[in-house]
Amino acid sequence: MLWLKRLRLRIRSIVQRSALERDLDQELQFHMAEQKAEFLGQGLTDSEAELAMRRSFGNAGVVAEQCRDQRRSRWFEDLAGDTRFACRTLLRAPGFTWAAVATLAIGIGANLAFFSAAYGVLFRPLPYTEPDRLVELDLGFGGVGPTTALREMSGLVDYAGYLANVEATAQLGGEAVRLRTASVTWNLATVLGVAPSMGRWFDASEESAGRHRAVVVSHRMWQERLRGDPGVLGRQILLNEEPFEVVGVMPPGFAFPAAATEAWTPIRIDPSSRGYMWGDLNLWPIGRLRKGATLSAGQAELRPIVDRIRPMFPWRMPDAWGTSSSLVLHSQALVKDSRAKLLALAAASLLLLVIACGNVANLLLTRWVRRDREFAVREALGAGRGRLLRQVITENAILAALGGAVGVTVAGVLLSVLPVFLGEVPRLHELAVGPDAALLAIATMLITFLILSVAPILRSKLRRGQLVSGGRNTSLRRTNRIALALASLQLALATSLLIGAGLMGRTLWQLANVNSGIQASRVVTGTVSVGPSRCATADRCWAFLQDLNATLGSVPGVRGVNWSNGIPLVKQTSAMSVDVQDHPKEPGAPAFVLWHSTTTPGYFGALGIPLRAGRLFSDADTSTSLPVAIISESTAKRFWPKESPIGKTIRPVSGKVGRTVVGVVADVAHYSLDGFPSWIDGVQYVPFEQAPPRSAKTVQLSVFIEGAAIQNAEFHSAIRKRFPDVVVSGLRSIGEVRDASVSNRRSTAWLLSLLAGLGLLLGVVGVYGVLTQRAIQRTREMGIRIALGAAAGEIASIVLREALLVGVVGSFIGVLVALGLSRFLRALLFGIAENDPVSYLIGPGILVATALLAAGVPAYRASQVDPVQTLRSE
Amino acid sequence: MIVDNHSVARSSDLIQGTLDLLILKTISLEPVHGWAIAKRIQQASNDVLLVQQGSLYPALHRLEQQGWIQSETRETALGRVAKFYSLTRHGRKQLTKELEQWERLSTAIGLVVNPV
Repeated sequence: MLWLKRLRLRIRSIVQRSALERDLDQELQFHMAEQKAEFLGQGLTDSEAELAMRRSFGNAGVVAEQCRDQRRSRWFEDLAGDTRFACRTLLRAPGFTWAAVATLAIGIGANLAFFSAAYGVLFRPLPYTEPDRLVELDLGFGGVGPTTALREMSGLVDYAGYLANVEATAQLGGEAVRLRTASVTWNLATVLGVAPSMGRWFDASEESAGRHRAVVVSHRMWQERLRGDPGVLGRQILLNEEPFEVVGVMPPGFAFPAAATEAWTPIRIDPSSRGYMWGDLNLWPIGRLRKGATLSAGQAELRPIVDRIRPMFPWRMPDAWGTSSSLVLHSQALVKDSRAKLLALAAASLLLLVIACGNVANLLLTRWVRRDREFAVREALGAGRGRLLRQVITENAILAALGGAVGVTVAGVLLSVLPVFLGEVPRLHELAVGPDAALLAIATMLITFLILSVAPILRSKLRRGQLVSGGRNTSLRRTNRIALALASLQLALATSLLIGAGLMGRTLWQLANVNSGIQASRVVTGTVSVGPSRCATADRCWAFLQDLNATLGSVPGVRGVNWSNGIPLVKQTSAMSVDVQDHPKEPGAPAFVLWHSTTTPGYFGALGIPLRAGRLFSDADTSTSLPVAIISESTAKRFWPKESPIGKTIRPVSGKVGRTVVGVVADVAHYSLDGFPSWIDGVQYVPFEQAPPRSAKTVQLSVFIEGAAIQNAEFHSAIRKRFPDVVVSGLRSIGEVRDASVSNRRSTAWLLSLLAGLGLLLGVVGVYGVLTQRAIQRTREMGIRIALGAAAGEIASIVLREALLVGVVGSFIGVLVALGLSRFLRALLFGIAENDPVSYLIGPGILVATALLAAGVPAYRASQVDPVQTLRSE
Repeated sequence: MIVDNHSVARSSDLIQGTLDLLILKTISLEPVHGWAIAKRIQQASNDVLLVQQGSLYPALHRLEQQGWIQSETRETALGRVAKFYSLTRHGRKQLTKELEQWERLSTAIGLVVNPV
């Protein structure tokens, strides 16, 4: 272990430096003494011997220095010296140090926060066994029948099914609470590779009806709702009026399909009920590639399976059913909607970091110009250029480390508030400052350090071979060029950020101007969950609704209560495959798919949806009268462009009886402000009473309450008094629904604007600094110009022209950078292209204007130079 | 103050690398201090090889840092405190290696200078 021994020796030479010094001194002294003794022995007198010894030994200092060199710890001693020196230098200029550290901290902090968020959400492996083998279907199909068939037929993938966001009403301690649960196939835990921390997961028999009354609860539900009861296993809880036995508790980190999921129940699989199996219950598949299977093999297997499942439906499915599905990694599908946002913000924060570094680099440059004399003296005394450079770089390293340390604190604060601003992003709850963050912090500091060091290295190259006189100095011009280049770079990146923020701002503006088709201000909407006993038959359900209407209507201030099967703009699909009169299908052609809304008669009036032709629903449209439908304006145009749609029929493919169109209403953005999914061909409304929800399960209805300034609590208490088993959730105004539907973009816009604002601020401060510095250096020149008759305006324009040049060059580069980066934003934009000319004009416009504004002060000062004074002062 | 010391040249009349061999050989029998090493090399070579302090001590320190020799401070026969150097286990191996190399080199030089 020679290297180990050597390492020990090196460490000793660093740690026991003084002992080694003493030894060395002693050793050389001993040698000299022996030498002197020898000379004495040759008969010389004491002083002669001393002289001869000194002569023969030579310079003891040099010998000692050479011995020290052999210790190979020189670099360390130099480093220690450099560090001490740099610290002293930085302490001597506290203003500069504070400014630099604060600037870097902002850059590093923002960068760390957004990169950890992006990494944590997009790239960190999911907390399952071999997460890179988990797959799901993109543009997939769901359903109890299809998913269980897929599970049986696949030879390469183990599929499980899950029904996410099942709201269940639980009776806990005498009070009804809403639980976010998931219904899952029994093999979900095997597929994900997880196990309960207490108790057991489901077994295969629990999928069959009658044996399905088992529930596994989340760690949080166990802790909060069940008060951490150690005897929770075996306890019965009432879910939707049915007793379920708690059989297991999941470990704390388990968050499938969503972080808010509190309990899992086995999905009931009942092959005898065709409507249930092949109906609209969206049991989504998730799978694990079997050993040796690849994603592409799983994909290849999928198509034939889909072709075998399609004919299994009790009614004819369009040939296109399931053909657009593709197998994708679960880890990618999960974060599909957040990818654009997080990457855009990470890229923006990186730009901000570079701007911050540019700013500090310029500050440093200014300082070095002032220290040129000091460097010249040192160089004259024999310090090598490399050695001087190393010292300067040590200073940068210390600044980067200090900035990084403060930056980590900034990042910690940012990370704790980020989930609030980022809106709905999966896996945000997992975000924490962990070992990855430490690595990231070190990487960021290194990047900072490297960027800061480019300028001094460049400058040192430029200075090579020049006589540094310490007086007026020829390297100033070149230094200025670096400074101006750095300023342009900062402005360029600030421009890119401004353009990004502009694109998002324009998107928000476009979205705000989209007509959703709903003109209602005083409507509150929410979800009412009704237990299975209330809606077992259509008549009972309808009667119960009347009762609910009366209860809600009795709250003071309520003017009307209406019902529907969904809330607009929340991206929840409700669709029906239909045959349309006058549009016969070729055999095998896919059926038309219409958006399907069930509404009570007052719905249109309450939401301000105007009637275009025919009539609205009335109380006369009952379950026994003629089945009717209302279609939207664009649906009417699509199917009957030349004639009136009134009186035409639309028939569900799974039904026999057609509905007669009785009215046409204006278009409404039911799905989202972006429009409907591409596979939706039109919109139909159906009277609520003719299509009441019928289910053996809990039913969810959307309520629309007209009325002014009513506290939500009043509705809750009114319902609780009359129907303790009914839960009303998510009450909010229609305006809030609309706001929430653009929250993803709004949060991106705000965060990008914040970064852009910081970038602009730093960039402009940087430009101001550089120009001021330039103006001070050129005071004499200005004095001469004024003395020769230049007007104040001309002098000012010299400075302003420089600012304009820097601004225009910066804007130009910034536009190029933005063109390259804006594809990150593509998925988030609405109503504008990613090269939207308005944003690309506004961004640089703001920038150039601000740069000119920043140049105003130095320009004014330059124009006020007193020529007599400046010329005398030389 | 910073002084650049990296370019100071080391001069030696000895063939590059032979000083190490001489030192290792000299201390292979018993621990010896610096002054004695110089003296012994001088005596053994009939006053031909004079090792300068300027090369001896840096060489000793280098060999020590390589882990081939180790030092120990103790008193000489005359009661003076001196630093005694001795070979380590690795040093002994290194000495054999250097001796072999030297044999090869001197034979080779002999062949060139004195062709048979």
